[in-house]
Amino acid sequence: MGRRKKIVQECERLMDEPENIRNIAIAAHVDHGKTTLTDNLLAGAGMISQDTAGQQLAMDTEEDEQERGITIDAANVSMTHEYEGNNHLINLIDTPGHVDFGGDVTRAMRAVDGALVVVDAVEGAMPQTETVLRQALREGVKPTLFINKVDRLISELQEGPQEMQERLLSVIHDVNELIRGMTEEMETVEDWTVSVEGGTVGFGSALYKWGVSMPSMQRTGMDFGDIIELERADKRQELHERTPLSDVVLDMVCEHFPNPLDAQPRRIPRIWRGDDTSDIAESMRLVDEDGDVVLMVTDIGIDPHAGEIAAGRVFSGTLEKGQELYVSGTAGKNRVQSVGIYMGGEREEVEHVPAGNIAAVTGLKDAIAGSTVSSVEMTPFESIEHISEPVITKSVEAKNMDDLPKLIQTLQQVAKEDPTIQVEINEETGEHLISGQGELHLEVIGQRIERNQGIPIHTGEPIVVYREAPTGSSDTVEGVSPNRHNKFYISVEPLSEGIVEAIQHGEASMDMPELERREALQEAGMDKDPSQNVETIHGTNILIDDTKGIQHLNETMELVVEGLEEALDDGPLAAEPVQGALVRLHDARLHEDTIHRGPAQVIPAVREAVHRSLIDAEVRLLEPIQDVRIDVPSEHMGAASGEIQGRRGRVDDMYQEGDLMVIEGIAPVGEMIGFSSDIRSATEGRASWNTENAGFRIMADNLQREKIMEIRERKGMKLELPASIDYF
Amino acid sequence: MLTFIGLGLYDERSITVEGREALRAADRAFAEFYTSHLVGASVADLEAYHGVDVEVRDRAGIERNPGPILDAAEDTDVAFLTAGDTMISTTHVDLRLRAEERDIETRLIHGVTAQSAASGLSGLQNYRFGKAVTLPFPYAHGGDDVPESVVDSVEANREHGLHTLVYLDIKADRGEYMTADVAAGMLADGWRDALAVAVARAGSPDPVVAADRLSALADRAFGDPLHLLVIPGDLHHVEADALRELGGAPEALLDAS
Repeated sequence: MGRRKKIVQECERLMDEPENIRNIAIAAHVDHGKTTLTDNLLAGAGMISQDTAGQQLAMDTEEDEQERGITIDAANVSMTHEYEGNNHLINLIDTPGHVDFGGDVTRAMRAVDGALVVVDAVEGAMPQTETVLRQALREGVKPTLFINKVDRLISELQEGPQEMQERLLSVIHDVNELIRGMTEEMETVEDWTVSVEGGTVGFGSALYKWGVSMPSMQRTGMDFGDIIELERADKRQELHERTPLSDVVLDMVCEHFPNPLDAQPRRIPRIWRGDDTSDIAESMRLVDEDGDVVLMVTDIGIDPHAGEIAAGRVFSGTLEKGQELYVSGTAGKNRVQSVGIYMGGEREEVEHVPAGNIAAVTGLKDAIAGSTVSSVEMTPFESIEHISEPVITKSVEAKNMDDLPKLIQTLQQVAKEDPTIQVEINEETGEHLISGQGELHLEVIGQRIERNQGIPIHTGEPIVVYREAPTGSSDTVEGVSPNRHNKFYISVEPLSEGIVEAIQHGEASMDMPELERREALQEAGMDKDPSQNVETIHGTNILIDDTKGIQHLNETMELVVEGLEEALDDGPLAAEPVQGALVRLHDARLHEDTIHRGPAQVIPAVREAVHRSLIDAEVRLLEPIQDVRIDVPSEHMGAASGEIQGRRGRVDDMYQEGDLMVIEGIAPVGEMIGFSSDIRSATEGRASWNTENAGFRIMADNLQREKIMEIRERKGMKLELPASIDYF
Repeated sequence: MLTFIGLGLYDERSITVEGREALRAADRAFAEFYTSHLVGASVADLEAYHGVDVEVRDRAGIERNPGPILDAAEDTDVAFLTAGDTMISTTHVDLRLRAEERDIETRLIHGVTAQSAASGLSGLQNYRFGKAVTLPFPYAHGGDDVPESVVDSVEANREHGLHTLVYLDIKADRGEYMTADVAAGMLADGWRDALAVAVARAGSPDPVVAADRLSALADRAFGDPLHLLVIPGDLHHVEADALRELGGAPEALLDAS
């Protein structure tokens, strides 16, 4: 029997013992060494050869990942590890660190109970460290810390034991500050800060495959002095043999991460809003393998042979081939064609996957990342929150006409796999639009379409996505239908930030029961009356029906909503999406006969009224902005901060950290295109930098007209604004 | 001067003599056929018969940009044509008001409308009709298959013993005309055994009048458009005789109502 086969068999045996299962994710800032660490763990568990660990990057299965040297998709793998006489099954997800792929991280966190946060000893906690910690804690996932690249402190920076200890403690301190701040208001969490004494912090070098922790030092008798000595003497192989990284980390995983029995009772109330007295709630809390099947899909992948594969966490019941399961948000059932677990980049089919495990399932054709799949109809899980609206759009065209249908299919597939991507298909022009989190995000998707699907494509220049938002309250505006027999009276005002956030976080949505939505909106700051009359939520905009007893309005409302959506999707300034508008329908006059108040009448009337209200409410153009952080030697500080200021940016803070200066600020996304090469040449390549999308900001009035005209020209719109826009 | 002229129900000869004279005397003639049209005549037939050029306008050309029509009417004689009557089922009163606002003189030359044909052909008395409704194609409105307001109006009429005239949706630009059997099928969901009257090709040389249960009408075919449907309320004895003789209504249904 092959070794791999043996591991699969052992995994299958262990799947039935939830107390010995750990579902974990490895997450970090880009380039802090997650994937190299993962390879170490795989090698330690005997899944890949010790010699190649570190170079093999077994988790980076896509060619482009190995080329770029970063992880793009979250990859799954199962392995076994013996700890204190018990064999444990560890289901591990490696997640991308680059900010453009944050959606993958959030989705991975739904599947796991513990997050091993990796931090570079030299760089310390970085913006993405904070982001992944927040993503983990919001999902009720417990963190531990591994400080990587300690070898660089010894060999490159020539630090002594005292300096090293100070530096490591300061990293731990920073991480704990973040954890403390984020868990303050979580009732179900005890103290989740990490500590060396508690054994929840490990140190080491994923590259040279050694690691230590307090328990390991006690066991092996190796202390920092010994390590510094061996590292300085270049005896890294010996170091690895005496205190291998994988043992240290996997022991930590087994000891300090919760098993599903421990985690699910805490996590279910955080991620599921169904009736907590129901059988299914009980079954999920107990990780009952005999209960109804509940699978939360966190990832959709493509296998050239098996087709679409849904990966996710089994919270209850046991998944088996042939089961007919409901998929949330779709009618009818899907039949499970196979179930399996992940071994490296590959999938191994198994007989069944019980509650508490991460499974790979084929046959769930209606499932998307985020679907709830179950054997009985149930309240779906909370939508997986990743608050990042697309900020960059590119056009995609097939080079050959023959590829057109295949390209459309592929784009739809892309949107299914990665919900942070938005795809707009235009069958008439063949010029489709994909919108995503950043230049890299779209570049990678474009390349995958070409490489994996073999479709040669043209992509356009990246275009920044703008928004339009009201800045004041409008008077009530009348919208008249073309036949003049129908009139709608509408006003617009800005929504408070609290309400917009509640919508963005999915705390208030049209999917939830009315009562719950009403409460959520009131909690976010909406008055009682409007919260009871919410007719629809579109994007981050709300329509309130303030009318009373208007005959025939109920059968016209669907058309009113259609008109509203058209008006909001293409705002009055530059046909960019409107955000944060509270739209009120105050009154309506309708024709007696349906045919005289059909779509051709109602939609334009409402659209016109909403646009005119927005203009009266002083609608402005908003541009996406990014938080920018640059770490740079002090002699290049001026040049680096100049790169932010020269891009209509703002430097908010500059401070010393170690021997580097840190510059923090914000800049518009549109100005950041090409930043990467500019900063490199401005600082002779000595700067490391990081950006993170930080929402939308109103553009200065003196830039509004010019930008609006630029967008209108690009879109082939009329180059004059309505006369009533006289405010900039 | 803007003269609204009803073309009547069927072809180029359905217009009144007065209408014909006014049309022939006009400097320009505009028409719209998106709300209804003459089944028995094309625009070319109209132009040839009356010796005029007819400028056909779409919905936007009437409702959104009536400017050119009104401009022309300021200093010349303009005729505005629709099938049927210009002011009954299709209400162009808005256009007339816009003209009046601009101090353009207007006048009306009536045409025969579907409403009078429905009453006339079926023998159901004009005095006894309640609210009329239009039954739209399901894709063309925002509600369910039969809009609630249609159901409400029919119910209200029936409660008062009144007849309901049901106009059937026309999507002239798509060449779609709802037929009486389809309409009967949709309404049969609510009033399976109710008596109804299908009227097909009113105003043509071969009109059809058929009275039967809605569910029975749904299974019949009435030929070319245009069709309409009447759901009678309580029947006066002469109305019952007319439906029997002219529409072939089954005796059992007449007794019942």
